[in-house]
Amino acid sequence: MPVPTSRDGWVIWLSMLLGLLLSVMPLPDFMQVGRPLWLAMLLAFWNLNLPHRVGMLSAWCLGLAADVLYGDLLGQNALVLTLSLFMVQSLQRRLRMFPLWQQSLVLLVVFGLAQLVQLWLNALTGNRPPTLLFLLPALTSALLWPWLYVALQWLRRRFAVY
Amino acid sequence: MLVVLSAALMVVDARFSGLKQFRAAMGLVLMEFYWVTDMPVRAWNTVSAQFTSHSELLAENEKLKAEALLMQRRLQRLAALTEQNVRLRELLNSAALVDDEVLVSELIGVDPNPFSHRIIIDKGGRDGVFLGQPVLDARGLMGQVVEVMPYSSRVLLLTDNTHSIPVQINRNGLRVIATGTGNPESLELRHVADTADVKEGDLLVSSGLGQRFPAGYPVATVKEVIHDSGQPFAIVRAVPTAALNRSRYLLLVFTDGRTAEQRAADAAQAQEEEDRKAAGETSVPPAQVPESPADAVEEAR
Repeated sequence: MPVPTSRDGWVIWLSMLLGLLLSVMPLPDFMQVGRPLWLAMLLAFWNLNLPHRVGMLSAWCLGLAADVLYGDLLGQNALVLTLSLFMVQSLQRRLRMFPLWQQSLVLLVVFGLAQLVQLWLNALTGNRPPTLLFLLPALTSALLWPWLYVALQWLRRRFAVY
Repeated sequence: MLVVLSAALMVVDARFSGLKQFRAAMGLVLMEFYWVTDMPVRAWNTVSAQFTSHSELLAENEKLKAEALLMQRRLQRLAALTEQNVRLRELLNSAALVDDEVLVSELIGVDPNPFSHRIIIDKGGRDGVFLGQPVLDARGLMGQVVEVMPYSSRVLLLTDNTHSIPVQINRNGLRVIATGTGNPESLELRHVADTADVKEGDLLVSSGLGQRFPAGYPVATVKEVIHDSGQPFAIVRAVPTAALNRSRYLLLVFTDGRTAEQRAADAAQAQEEEDRKAAGETSVPPAQVPESPADAVEEAR
């Protein structure tokens, strides 16, 4: 394996920053409930393609940033993102072989589980959403996955990030 | 390993305050994100202001002038009423209501979590914002500050389902507690007896009993009262008077930090000194004798 060059790392980090931006973007009320899990999706993409560049530690750091941004307990999103990336990583060999629609089916389950952990942690801090709607972000993320994948793949080729 | 670390972090953050500094430092950088996401809105406002036509501006100017006139008339009445209020309070020997100081701030972000009602404003610790500070808009109470960062802070709104506020019905002084429901248009009054005198359209004002919110600010108006014989209490729903999901400019209130008792004691002391002074002077000019309340009411009209 070639030694990772640090010169093109900025593309990855820029995409992560964009993800953070998108995750606090104001949305109309009816879309607010189904806000896609941008961070989890980005991490999954980079981890599937460049596992030596983006791993659990980056997920954890990004999660901490998200915690401060959302005003949640410090470590809450870090835990959720680390767990979801752990699941992606353990399915990595298989996921890479799958066509896109199958990938998004698997990721639907992974993100759904991550949302369940999130729900559990929220319940511990006394802020439990009243309905099953909290699973909606997993669905929208899974639906968006093929498009995001294609776009990021183009970005990766364009800037030759390996 | 990372899981254990995050669990430990969560416990530390929930129980101790050691991580506040770290949080504030990170917040300093990360809060810029809200500012950036808010940019399109601000840009749109600027552009639309640039392209507003001359006639529209004139019309708006006219309208504002008329409004200012109306306000001034009301203010005149208010001045008379305030005067009267002070006089009556002097007669009753009780503390005068001091006008609170306020700081205007702007909304820069909304919490991305749809199940919690929190907003981010552009004033922080450097501007003197403190934890638990009450926040108003032009129409009523909005919520309180729950997190202070150097240049921004987070405000928990009244309608968050973890928030409750002690209120009073303006008409008869009945004390109740208004709890958030998670719906930005609705508050619920908890534990209201079925026989309690609550009517549709009643104004709820803050009672100041929790010693967090100043007393007398409008909070909500009662929307419906349901008497269900199967329930131990009446179900009362109210609509917040503040435009919780529309206001862009908010007011941070600085109360002087004294409790009601301290304020009363201070006022009593001041009154005593006045009395002593008055007793020392031999002649009191007749103009300073308070007029009768009836006169004052006439004046107010």
